Amino acid sequence: MNTPNTLDFNQVKVGDELTPLSIDVTATVVVAGAIATRDFMPVHHDRNYANKQGAPEIFMNILSDTAYCSRFLTDWAGPEAMVRKLSIRLGVPAFAGSTLTYTGTVTAVSQRGTEGTIEISLRATNDLGDHVSGVAVIGLPASGASA
Amino acid sequence: MNAEPNDASANFAHAVAALVGRPVGSGKASVAPDPVNQPMIRHWAAAFEDANPVYTDPEFAAGTRFGGIVAPPLMLQTWTMATPMITGIAERGGAPVPSEGTSPMTVFDEAGFVGTLASNSEFEIMRYLRIGETISATTIIESVSEQKKTRIGPGHFVTWVTTYVDDSGETVGIQRFRILKFKPEGVPA
Repeated sequence: MNTPNTLDFNQVKVGDELTPLSIDVTATVVVAGAIATRDFMPVHHDRNYANKQGAPEIFMNILSDTAYCSRFLTDWAGPEAMVRKLSIRLGVPAFAGSTLTYTGTVTAVSQRGTEGTIEISLRATNDLGDHVSGVAVIGLPASGASA
Repeated sequence: MNAEPNDASANFAHAVAALVGRPVGSGKASVAPDPVNQPMIRHWAAAFEDANPVYTDPEFAAGTRFGGIVAPPLMLQTWTMATPMITGIAERGGAPVPSEGTSPMTVFDEAGFVGTLASNSEFEIMRYLRIGETISATTIIESVSEQKKTRIGPGHFVTWVTTYVDDSGETVGIQRFRILKFKPEGVPA
């Protein structure tokens, strides 16, 4: 198995960009996310119901949004990164049939003892605009005796 | 703007002020129906195609700072989700189970703020969860904003805070969730 590596905290700089993540939001993706997060609201799995609510399609639930944010963060930072804060503003919906693109930038780095902290500004956009925008704080192991 | 009799608006202001600190739901903690477990974690990781091996590969996880499998941090909210009653879910407007009593949010609906729009979700994660832990959640209304003019109509932002605790009562995470209760204006409700 190809085991992923965790970023070296000392190499992370303000202005670094996270590896973008693109999600092809199919109906299957919407339904799989809703059920895996145990959110059975019909707008996330029943198109007829969504239509009656004025939505053209089923759309992604909020627990899937936060799930993809955490995947986006740790795909980049590696398995030993810890998500400590995630604060998102919810924008336009992510309807089935759209594509979501996650991007992010490091806005601050600090170290306390052997724990490095990285602040990240992130957003997920689709053809309607910003679906999610916000900030995250992740922790990375850092060598205590860094220069 | 709708003109409202002064006593009605005073009653509304009073009812809104009384919401702060009130529990959302029964007031009892929501206890996760199942402890943190590998099958639900694997299901979650598959749904989001999250290949982080600390969630599903015990050998890999043992060699990390976690020392073993941990739950995805943003699964926190999933553990305490109610087991749904599927029959009738559409007729209940998506409520997973028939509601007990009246929701505190009816105060807004009765005053014409019938629209609901989720606006923010904020998580603070104190620590990662391990297999076997049982999580409980308690949610209270933390604040209600003054009436604001928004793109979709006048409304109030309502913030509730959910505190997640482990078996010993230690807080493992906090979530703030903000919705806008609004009077639909010029757009279909």
